[in-house]
Amino acid sequence: MSALTALALFIGRIGRHSALQPAGPPAERINGLWWLMFWCLTGVFILVLGALALALVSSHRRRLREPATPPAGATDPATERRMTRAVGGAIGLTVILLFVLLVASIATGRSISPLSAPKDALEVEVVGHQWWWQFEYADPDPSRIVSTANELHIPVGRAVKLRLTSRDVIHSFWVPNLNGKMDLIPGRNADTWIQADRPGVYRGQCAEFCGHQHAHMALEVIADPPERFDAWLAAQRQAAPLPASPLAQRGQQVFLSSSCPLCHAVQGTTAGSGVGPDLTHVASRRTLAAGTLPNNRGNLAGWILDPQSIKPGNRMPPTALSPADLEALLAYLESLR
Amino acid sequence: MSLGAVPEAVPESWGPEPPDSDLDDLDVKARRELEATWRSPSGLLGWLTETSHTALGKRYIVTAFVFFALGGIEALLMRLQLARPENTVLGADLYNQVFTMHGSTMMFLFAVPVMLGMGLYLVPLMIGTRNLAFPRLNAYSYYAYLLGGLLLYGAFFLNVGPDAGWFAYVPLAGPDYSPGKRVDVWAQMITFTELSSLAAAVNLITTIFKHRAPGMSLNRIPLFVWSILVTSFMVVFAMPAVMSSSLFLALDRLVDTHFFNPAEGGDAILWQHLFWFFGHPEVYIIFLPATGMVSAIIVAFTRRPAFGYTALVLSLVATAFIGFGLWVHHMFATGLPQLGQSFFTAASIMIVVPSGTQIFCWLATLWGGRVRFKTPLLYVLGFIAIFVLGGLTGVMLAAVPLDLQVHDTFFVVAHFHYVLIGGAVFPLLGGITFWFPKMTGRLMSERLGKLGFGLVFLGFNLTFFPMHQLGLEGMPRRVYTYLPETGWGDLNLLATVGAGILGLGVLVFVLNALWSLRFGEVAGGDPWGADGLEWSTASPPAPYNFFHLPTVRGRYARWVQDEDQPVVVGLRTDRREVLVTRTLDAEPDHRDILPGPSGWPLALALTTGVTFIGGIFTPWALPWGVLLTGLALIGWFWPQTDMGRTVLKEKS
Amino acid sequence: MKRPPQLDVSELPTVVFGSRTTLWWGVTGLITIEGTVFAIVAATYFYLRGGAVEWPPPGVSQPPLALTTAFLAVLLASLAPMHWTNKAALRGDLRGIQIWLAVTTVLGAACLVMRGFEFSLLSYEWRSHAYGSVVWTILSLHTLHLLTSIGENVLFLVLLAKGPVEDKHLLDVTVNGLYWFFVVAAWVPFYFILYMDPGLFRP
Repeated sequence: MSALTALALFIGRIGRHSALQPAGPPAERINGLWWLMFWCLTGVFILVLGALALALVSSHRRRLREPATPPAGATDPATERRMTRAVGGAIGLTVILLFVLLVASIATGRSISPLSAPKDALEVEVVGHQWWWQFEYADPDPSRIVSTANELHIPVGRAVKLRLTSRDVIHSFWVPNLNGKMDLIPGRNADTWIQADRPGVYRGQCAEFCGHQHAHMALEVIADPPERFDAWLAAQRQAAPLPASPLAQRGQQVFLSSSCPLCHAVQGTTAGSGVGPDLTHVASRRTLAAGTLPNNRGNLAGWILDPQSIKPGNRMPPTALSPADLEALLAYLESLR
Repeated sequence: MSLGAVPEAVPESWGPEPPDSDLDDLDVKARRELEATWRSPSGLLGWLTETSHTALGKRYIVTAFVFFALGGIEALLMRLQLARPENTVLGADLYNQVFTMHGSTMMFLFAVPVMLGMGLYLVPLMIGTRNLAFPRLNAYSYYAYLLGGLLLYGAFFLNVGPDAGWFAYVPLAGPDYSPGKRVDVWAQMITFTELSSLAAAVNLITTIFKHRAPGMSLNRIPLFVWSILVTSFMVVFAMPAVMSSSLFLALDRLVDTHFFNPAEGGDAILWQHLFWFFGHPEVYIIFLPATGMVSAIIVAFTRRPAFGYTALVLSLVATAFIGFGLWVHHMFATGLPQLGQSFFTAASIMIVVPSGTQIFCWLATLWGGRVRFKTPLLYVLGFIAIFVLGGLTGVMLAAVPLDLQVHDTFFVVAHFHYVLIGGAVFPLLGGITFWFPKMTGRLMSERLGKLGFGLVFLGFNLTFFPMHQLGLEGMPRRVYTYLPETGWGDLNLLATVGAGILGLGVLVFVLNALWSLRFGEVAGGDPWGADGLEWSTASPPAPYNFFHLPTVRGRYARWVQDEDQPVVVGLRTDRREVLVTRTLDAEPDHRDILPGPSGWPLALALTTGVTFIGGIFTPWALPWGVLLTGLALIGWFWPQTDMGRTVLKEKS
Repeated sequence: MKRPPQLDVSELPTVVFGSRTTLWWGVTGLITIEGTVFAIVAATYFYLRGGAVEWPPPGVSQPPLALTTAFLAVLLASLAPMHWTNKAALRGDLRGIQIWLAVTTVLGAACLVMRGFEFSLLSYEWRSHAYGSVVWTILSLHTLHLLTSIGENVLFLVLLAKGPVEDKHLLDVTVNGLYWFFVVAAWVPFYFILYMDPGLFRP
């Protein structure tokens, strides 16, 4: 029952992601271009189909009208001249329309380019991994750099410049309500920017085929009012608190003595690997396994014990734990807020 | 005949194969000898040594349709998997293999070969000659193609099917992220099919330039033949790019080179440049022959010349040129410099001009003609509606900002299926219906034909139209499943239902073909009253195609004939002699003697097979394969001395 | 049935030369395809060069210019005897073909020997770095062409010595010459690309 409730909540909280429901300037400009093109080209489509229908009617009538069929291949010079004018005119109109659309496209392209992002933009580095997202909030002081996974928090109304790269294969960062996509390419950096003018949760998903679990490489952009965002960032800068309850303390021992630290980091402990997502504040996140599961106790347990049946082929191995150890580990992980 | 009330006013001054009773004894004897000279040997050996363009052309087409069916089944499996969120018909691994197989099959094993196959079958008939310029090369093309297909499907059924997409982007397809042999299989399949297409292209170019009937000057070449000529040139310049890149990929995987490895000075984007420098022209390689079919069908069913012959030909040529200048529009999301992007946007938008010109010319032709609504024409009308829509979404994709939104989403899936199914498969099905009587001697059933068309048209739109919406709502391509919360379920279900109807339509088409093969109405030489030379001979054509090679006085050869128009005589009937004409004006130049049936093409295909397939497992296959290939080539080119040529020096 | 008028082609020749023949078009097609492959490999070289911090990578030394230039010179020198081979074929002079084709082949073989040294003097392997990969690929591709072409020449020499020789073989000889010209010409840009790269002359 609780799983169902969680699911219902989960559904309710996810905003419908769509390129046509822009929530910030870049997506809005693209949306404008879309509707310009949509109406122009729909007009063209109707005109062409209309011309086709007219042509067929005229052609059919001509055949019925004529008692004797003229020799095959015969044409009428007057008709040919009229057709030449019509075709010439149509080509001319096509060229003009295309030119207009080209100009509109280039103008829109300039306005959404990373070069035209506002100068006060927040900077975040996005690193693609098979199959999860790493977000690093830049800071001149390395100890204040925040690293989180699959959940990009941004302040409402402020541009966010994203610097994209990948640790393995090519991925593509795409949150349709906020901007078009940009690839994350190993050995290269690419820039893009997003901005949300309304608070909310905007879903995105990897858009470049990146192997087995390309389908389960989602992310959420959470846009909060600036003060809430600042509070979140401040909280994320903290190392993990020492576990308070004895159960959680035991959980920490389970965590550190099992295979977890081989891939994961928890700031403030000896676990410091960067292979998998940083878990320092894992309990504060809304989803598990890159947007695959709502983050709750049941799903967390299932994910730890048998990640391969939830997301086959992903890099996380199954972990065998006694029920007591699992209980303790869950308590510990849930304390990482 | 069930062609309606239209009287057939086609003059019959020469062609389709007069019966013996109409010929004098000398001609009867000559025809017997011609038949004996050109006939292929029977039996398995005859099948393996076949060099006739009609036999190999049909083989090409049938093989391509088998792959079409396989690719279609893969498509249906994918649609089943995506019909509901979190479906489990195919797992992630199998889905990734299946969509890779689907793309690779449709592009490399169906679309290109079937178009070239139609060309290989029809071109010699349309230009009035007895065979292709290089009959054995034609056989080699076929076997290389077949081997490539068998390799891919053999591997797939052994669970070594490629799974990195038909585009095989590195580093995903590179040695680090695709261990095992799956991607190697893909790369070698590419090499096979590229070799095959290149050989076919050179063959077609040479045949079209040198073997045209006297009088068929460049400005009288039928539009379909023009489209094949331009396509062949595109093949010649596009395929080397993918051959090189798949060679680099194979080297990276097999002998540790670093072409695509950024850690050692290589570059992942290099692959994309090379692949799309081939990949975008590839689309036109598939589309241009289809436009040739459209022109041929419209002309035949409106009984008038194509409006704007010159404009149509120039559009083909312009499309071919521009087609090489827009590959980067597949790479807008890689973050290339903006100036470059604008250039490629402009080029991508510019290509609408020749395509639009073609559409307008066809509309004018329809408007000014006397249309007969036979199945082939219905497919052409369906083509116009669907292709125009696909072209318009193509304009959207050319705009960088919109592309960044819908690139790699189902919107693009919708777009290119509108362009490729609408632009190529519809004309192809129409073209098959149109030329079926020539190939088999029997007409396809009109009633089943129209039913099939209706189902294909309906099913197609139901499948692919909703995908536009899915893409805009954020559904990426190549996902094996999606979460229920995404809200993509309903439209996906609709698309799956549509795919079922589309599949049913194709099935009706195939059943119609099979049924008509046995029971279809007997066609005669020219069932449509069409204009092309291919209708001036028996259906199916005799092994020598034309008893007397025809001459040509106009663009629409059968509609423009004079009383005093000659036929060609004086070619020897006791050897495979053909007439070679001048490239521009097609005046008779010299006679050539073509080789007959030969086992060397198959042998060469097998030795190249040893090289490529062996190369997957050990680099040592390369020297051995080259050696064997060299031996096969020596066998192939070893002089045949039984052709009655002038001997300059006796055997010592 | 009334006999249609006739266009008699029985007096037309069966052996002609040059672009009138289908064989010429076929081989020209092959040359175009392979030329495109070479062009793409060259483009790859420049693409990788453009993205590199240092090109060639540190520690790379090429074979001495004397060797690579001698290779080019001998290769270019082979154009002359091949040209005379073609002339002899047009005259129908079997003796002339044999002599000049043999000279061409000897020069080609000399090139092959020098190419062997060239390979052995490279200070890096194909797996050392992307530069090594592309240089080895260029050299190997061209060497394969050279080998094939020399093999063809040898085959022709055997056929001409052994007989029977037919008129059509004269055309074959000229088309073989055309392909040789291509193999020689293809190397010229690569000589400059590989051995004149400014990166090689950095102090």
